[in-house]
Amino acid sequence: MVNPQAKAIRLIEYFLFGSAVILFLTGTLLGDTFYLRLGTEALIFGGLAMSVDLLLGIVGLLSLGQALYFGFGAYLSALILKEISPSFALTIVLVTLASALLGWVVSFIALRSKGVYFALITFGLAQVVAKVVYNTSSLGASDGMMGVPILKIWTPLGSIDADHPGTFFIISLLTIGSLYAVLRYFLTTPMGSCWHAIQSNENRLAYIGFKSKGPKQVAFVLATVVAAVSGALYPMLRGFVSPELMFFSVSGTAVVTVVLGGVGTLIGPILGSVLLVSFKSIIGTWTPHHHIVIGLIFVVIVISAPKGLAGLIAKHYSKRQSHRGDKSWAYFRPSSCVSILADSQLLKMLALRLKTSESPQLLGQMVPAKVPYLIY
Amino acid sequence: MLESLQYIYAPQMLNGLSIGVAVILMALGLTIIFGLLDVINMSHGEFYAAGAFFSVSLMAMGVSFWLCLVLVPLLLLPIGFAMERLLIQKVFHYKDRHILTLLLTFGVAMVLEDSYKIIWGSNPIKPPAPISGASELLGVMFPNYRLFVMAFGALLIFAVWLLIYKTQIGAIVRAAAFDKEMSSSLGIPVMLVYALTFALGVALAGLAGVLLAPIYSVFPTMGHDFILLAFSVVIVGGLGSIKGAVVAGILLTQLQSISSLYISPVWSDPLVFTVMVLVLMFKPTGLYGGMKNG
Repeated sequence: MVNPQAKAIRLIEYFLFGSAVILFLTGTLLGDTFYLRLGTEALIFGGLAMSVDLLLGIVGLLSLGQALYFGFGAYLSALILKEISPSFALTIVLVTLASALLGWVVSFIALRSKGVYFALITFGLAQVVAKVVYNTSSLGASDGMMGVPILKIWTPLGSIDADHPGTFFIISLLTIGSLYAVLRYFLTTPMGSCWHAIQSNENRLAYIGFKSKGPKQVAFVLATVVAAVSGALYPMLRGFVSPELMFFSVSGTAVVTVVLGGVGTLIGPILGSVLLVSFKSIIGTWTPHHHIVIGLIFVVIVISAPKGLAGLIAKHYSKRQSHRGDKSWAYFRPSSCVSILADSQLLKMLALRLKTSESPQLLGQMVPAKVPYLIY
Repeated sequence: MLESLQYIYAPQMLNGLSIGVAVILMALGLTIIFGLLDVINMSHGEFYAAGAFFSVSLMAMGVSFWLCLVLVPLLLLPIGFAMERLLIQKVFHYKDRHILTLLLTFGVAMVLEDSYKIIWGSNPIKPPAPISGASELLGVMFPNYRLFVMAFGALLIFAVWLLIYKTQIGAIVRAAAFDKEMSSSLGIPVMLVYALTFALGVALAGLAGVLLAPIYSVFPTMGHDFILLAFSVVIVGGLGSIKGAVVAGILLTQLQSISSLYISPVWSDPLVFTVMVLVLMFKPTGLYGGMKNG
């Protein structure tokens, strides 16, 4: 039996892909620009949210400064497009390489801490860089950089200009889609199992003989690249970059997006971004105070459905399954140590260790230290 | 040498100290809430702004500043109490409550900030200083009101320290922070202690808002810049430590004000954050441990 979360993810994937196709077809047929650009924006910020979700939902690290890498990608892309060449492929390749390097360096600072401290260190780092960029005149200081030229894309039939909103929508869809596919692929590897295991209990992972540092570093670098590549699309859409892209409100909104769509699903953040961006543009026509509504929705979701929309859909499926009398594991999530067992290679490792080790505490904190106190 | 000390460093250090006292008041609320509840209150800056806005409105209604100093914290107590009971307790039992409460208070901050924009508008309001004039201190003129803020703030910090470390109420709070189950089995109403402590932290932030409103202007995003500094203070001092908040508060604000003599003031913020990041890297628990050790 397919587990409900996987079903929910599949449903959201179909829904988003379907709506993207409908948006593209109706948009180009009717000659619309507004909704196509709105859709592109949703995809770009969805990419940023996806990188937050990789850290928060898969590895269990809350990053409050993901806008730093988003802004880094945006500034670098604007610089390359303006100064070197308006080529899409070159920009994406350079941004990917540079952000991977940046993420690798920063991971040594950020991954020294975990939990709340990780959240605060990423927050602090992003604030420092945002303030520095805000005050650097060669990067345009508070005005940012304007006049990014129209993107050129090389195809076998010659290079085409991507100034049509429909063309750029497809480009963004392909870019964000491939980032999503890469992350999905990683989740199927042993590395992905390790990430889930780190989230559920990092210490226990060490007990069965796995280091958590490497996988965490890979996840951090991947998240940096995903955020930076999404950011790289921003100046291509808007034609400018500003230091506001690095501010806390961008990182904060990304976290809201993740929680709204569904933590730990990777596709949920895209759904959340689509909802949030369209919601902002609808509310924005009535009142400038959309934050109050978004904040309220956010508070309600954190309290009543911490797993977001994807979680609600999964819950619906698991209820339907239990109604049918199916005794499959309702709401089963392969995130606990079961996910370690699910992977045959890890299972072998565990079996090996079980044979050789005599430690009774092999699986870590199975017995909470405070149990004697609790039995009054 | 002596002259430069007197005319350049002394006023700058005094200035830093007056900001430092206010930052410590903010940081105290943050650190007490974290020390007891393990909650990072992202909406703390918005409660600071709430204190400032309440005092502006009350003064417009004819209430004197001195009464505001008492009334505003009293008004904020039930708000903080209700927030802890109605919102934070709802996610408190989850395994990842650190992250959930952080997100929750972040959402509350968004709502509060936008509400201020609707109620009071986005333009800065500057209430008049309740004490006018300036007096000579160490050979330089210094506004009387800032001197008052420093003295009153120092007294308040001392009072909070007395409350936490020298009274029975404080002992109960520290016991609840040390071992929740044990204290509860000894008959301490832990849930009530949680809510009251949260309310106390919020009231302290509001009080800082009232005190600082006449020095800085009052505007909806006023909490933002200040909360960053307060967070840095709490982290450098050690999350949950009162002594740490005081020491780090003075250290960081002095660093900020003295460094701005040599570098452009816009770079002093990055400098403070760099110190914070360095402390997080090499001593994540800060200079002093948590309230649990005290």
